[in-house]
Amino acid sequence: MRIAWRGAELRLLLPIFVLVPLGFAITNVALTGAFDGGPLHLAIGYVALLVGAHLLLVVLGHRGDQLILPAVGAMGGIGMIMLNRLPQDLAGTSAFGIELGMAATQLLWFGVGMIAMLVIAVGLRDDGILRHYKYSWAAAGILLLGATLLLGYEVNGARLWIDLGPVSVQPGEFLKIVLVIFIASYLAETRTLLTSARLRIGFLSIPPLPYFLPMLALFAVVMLIVVRLNDLGTALLFFGTFLTMLFVATGRRSYVLIGLILFVVGFTVAYQFFGHVQIRVDIWLDPFADPLGAGFQPVRALYALGRGGIFGEGLGQGLVTLGGGLTIPYVHTDFIFTAVAEELGLLGAFALLGFAAVLVFRGLRIAALARDDFSGLLAVGLTASLGLQTLIIIGGNTKLIPLTGITLPFVSYGGSSVLASFIMIGLLLAISHKSAIGADGDAGS
Amino acid sequence: MIATNVRRLGLYLMLSFAIVSGSIAWWQVVEAPQLATRGDNPQVIAARRSLPRGTIFDASGQVLASSDVIDGLSRRTYTDTAFTHVIGYSSLRFGSTGIERSYEDILVGQTDPNPIRELVGDVLNRQPEPRDLVLTLDRRLQDFAAAELGGDAGAVVALDPATGAILAMVSTPTFDATPISGDPDVAQEPMDALRNNAAEPLLPRARQGLYVPGSIMKVFTAAAALDAGAITPDATFPDQPREESEGFVVDGFTIREHDLGGIAPALWPLSPALQVSSNIFFAHVGLALGAEPFLAYARQFGFCAPMEIGPSDRALGVAASYLTAPLEGDCGPFTGDVELASASFGQAATQVTPVQMALLAAAIAGDGVMPRPYVVRDVRAHSDAGTPSETVLDTFGSGGGSRVVSTEAARATRIAMVDAVNGELGRLFAGQGDITLYGISNQRAAGKTGTAQLGGEQAPHSWFIGFAPAQDEAVPQIAVAVLVESGGSGSGRAAPIAGRVMAEWLRLASGG
Repeated sequence: MRIAWRGAELRLLLPIFVLVPLGFAITNVALTGAFDGGPLHLAIGYVALLVGAHLLLVVLGHRGDQLILPAVGAMGGIGMIMLNRLPQDLAGTSAFGIELGMAATQLLWFGVGMIAMLVIAVGLRDDGILRHYKYSWAAAGILLLGATLLLGYEVNGARLWIDLGPVSVQPGEFLKIVLVIFIASYLAETRTLLTSARLRIGFLSIPPLPYFLPMLALFAVVMLIVVRLNDLGTALLFFGTFLTMLFVATGRRSYVLIGLILFVVGFTVAYQFFGHVQIRVDIWLDPFADPLGAGFQPVRALYALGRGGIFGEGLGQGLVTLGGGLTIPYVHTDFIFTAVAEELGLLGAFALLGFAAVLVFRGLRIAALARDDFSGLLAVGLTASLGLQTLIIIGGNTKLIPLTGITLPFVSYGGSSVLASFIMIGLLLAISHKSAIGADGDAGS
Repeated sequence: MIATNVRRLGLYLMLSFAIVSGSIAWWQVVEAPQLATRGDNPQVIAARRSLPRGTIFDASGQVLASSDVIDGLSRRTYTDTAFTHVIGYSSLRFGSTGIERSYEDILVGQTDPNPIRELVGDVLNRQPEPRDLVLTLDRRLQDFAAAELGGDAGAVVALDPATGAILAMVSTPTFDATPISGDPDVAQEPMDALRNNAAEPLLPRARQGLYVPGSIMKVFTAAAALDAGAITPDATFPDQPREESEGFVVDGFTIREHDLGGIAPALWPLSPALQVSSNIFFAHVGLALGAEPFLAYARQFGFCAPMEIGPSDRALGVAASYLTAPLEGDCGPFTGDVELASASFGQAATQVTPVQMALLAAAIAGDGVMPRPYVVRDVRAHSDAGTPSETVLDTFGSGGGSRVVSTEAARATRIAMVDAVNGELGRLFAGQGDITLYGISNQRAAGKTGTAQLGGEQAPHSWFIGFAPAQDEAVPQIAVAVLVESGGSGSGRAAPIAGRVMAEWLRLASGG
């Protein structure tokens, strides 16, 4: 194992090393009126994590993509600054005699997540374990979903959480990864066999049965999630990720179209028969109809966007609380984006979206350069999942689509979300490393 | 390999990122100013809790609303309940309405009328300064009109037809907004009482009340038909005298004349037809104009869509007035000639606001130019002295009018309206609108009564629209619409109120 200097990565990380502590310092001054250090140690801890991750990748000779970690680091940095700025008693940990506030807890999860990322990025030399046990992965996914259905408890109207003593876990976050692995493996195996086959009904070409059946099965799972767990966001994310992978595997736009039609029809049926789906849609169509009742959250989110304007109110100067309560409930998870947009303005919001775009397009690049179909499809699935999740939650915050309760990767508070997102990054880096090694190997031979 | 498909996917994702960027920019840039003034915006609520709030004065400089900060909470006091439905309320508990809402950011000083000063204030992070508003409404006329309505439910809207400045806008019954704008801990009970009151005192009838107009719509029918050339001032309909007694059969349905009070039917052109308020004549006029042009003119006059008083980013809303059953936010098509004929004399599905009808009168008074109405004249620096500061920060002038019919059509309609109040036949119906009865000599008012039949045993709504002075070449100074809910005939209740209000204004305006 030779050392691999990662100069581009280091240069791109340097601004983050300066800006995150600076953001903490500005927040500190804005909130207390003078600089007294405050929780600056958390910013330094965050920088230390990034430095550590970078150095370990260098020392362990990792040859993977060098833009991914800076993009993640920037998103996470904005997230840490915002979470440190919000009231610290919104969330936190008190276990084993340790009391941690929200930002400190999030930092802890970043540490856990980065370790997971490094282990996977460096340790996953052979993807056979992912590829060959696809039905085990599918079973694991069903287990996760079943556990949520049986043991889950409700937060904010959606049943997504399982209580595991000191920590609560959101199985959906991990189910996402398992599904992507399964679908990538399934499609990689069947793709060559099936791209030639086609059934035509009118202008639509219907996918052959082996495509169609898993598609229907997944669709059933998704509808179950919508109806039983009341989690429209996760459903949209799963189905969107699947359709994206199907499109890349087959190149058939009509399959995606059929999938979308299925989703719309299923959703319309759900709308007719299930009150909670109806309420969601009605709130989306006109949140201002009941701004102090059902439309409270989305309306307050729009106000926060409006207050931010182009340049933002400035760190620590947004209107986070009013008369003792939060102006937007769940600002640290579902609405973290609006908090960023309020204090950093449209420019900050665009920067955040830009970092997500960098992540997505590097992910697609990794997919395009992947050495085999499985790796490529896996990279596409992971990238699509992260990208769509970002687009769905920001789209929901800005009333582009109905509001859903999913997290903004690397920015929202939440251990499950952070850990799952880092696992996905680890997988992307592993794929990227493998193709880089392979390209060198080819050139050398 | 899959690389080609990945590249195509990249394009779709790029498009998605662009769309999401657009939706962010939409709220942060395009919609931000509108969001900033909404009463339930936490920023506005926060500001309202503690910041002193500007004073609101009437056109003559009398205090209508003022604030005191007690125990760190800003509380509002209103001096005159006649203004409640214009000014609205600013409650720590229930948000704000009316001008208190539309001009919230200016009153608490969050928005500076001068954008450069606002930017400087933002950069320096200055404490917002409250600013005062001066209305176009005159307290003397407002109180006079409120007293005229007395205990009846109804509305009076009066404006300057040349500028669109609202001079009085009264809705009754009204209420005292001070208790619900004061101490938030005791505001719930008075609010509940208002909400449960069957007389609906919370409804701003002048802007949001919808009523069948009856014969006052004939003014619109006449002006539109004259402008389109469907009739001339001298045009007659040969069958009309016979139909006055026998009825006018349209599509098998017989339209009957109202009680003409013993006046013998004759072959009437526009002026006498308006004087006796002949339904038969105006049914013919409407049919001669045709359904499509009828609705097209109506839209020009502001019907069929919500209206606004004031600049559109801080407007007081006015409900849409409809001539037919509404369809997708517009007047739907007429169901047939019977409905068109009935709408021509203000019945069928027609539902209008008093503000819309006052603007109809103003458009005739303005020789065919309908003004844009407004209620706030200017923004001033804050003054605690009980009189407005001399420092004017911003002025909301007339937004200019829009031509709705030709000068000739408006003039011919005006002459018929002068006759309707002052002519030999007209005096029998609308004579109580004559301003000379109320001490104005040598001046004439123009007008039209309306007695809106509601069907069944309900007493009709009493209406009058008009303007003064209207004789010869005089420039009208006031246009009015008066509505008294279930007030009986237009001549009995609304016409004398309108006459007295117009006379009072001419007296006030001449300094007498």
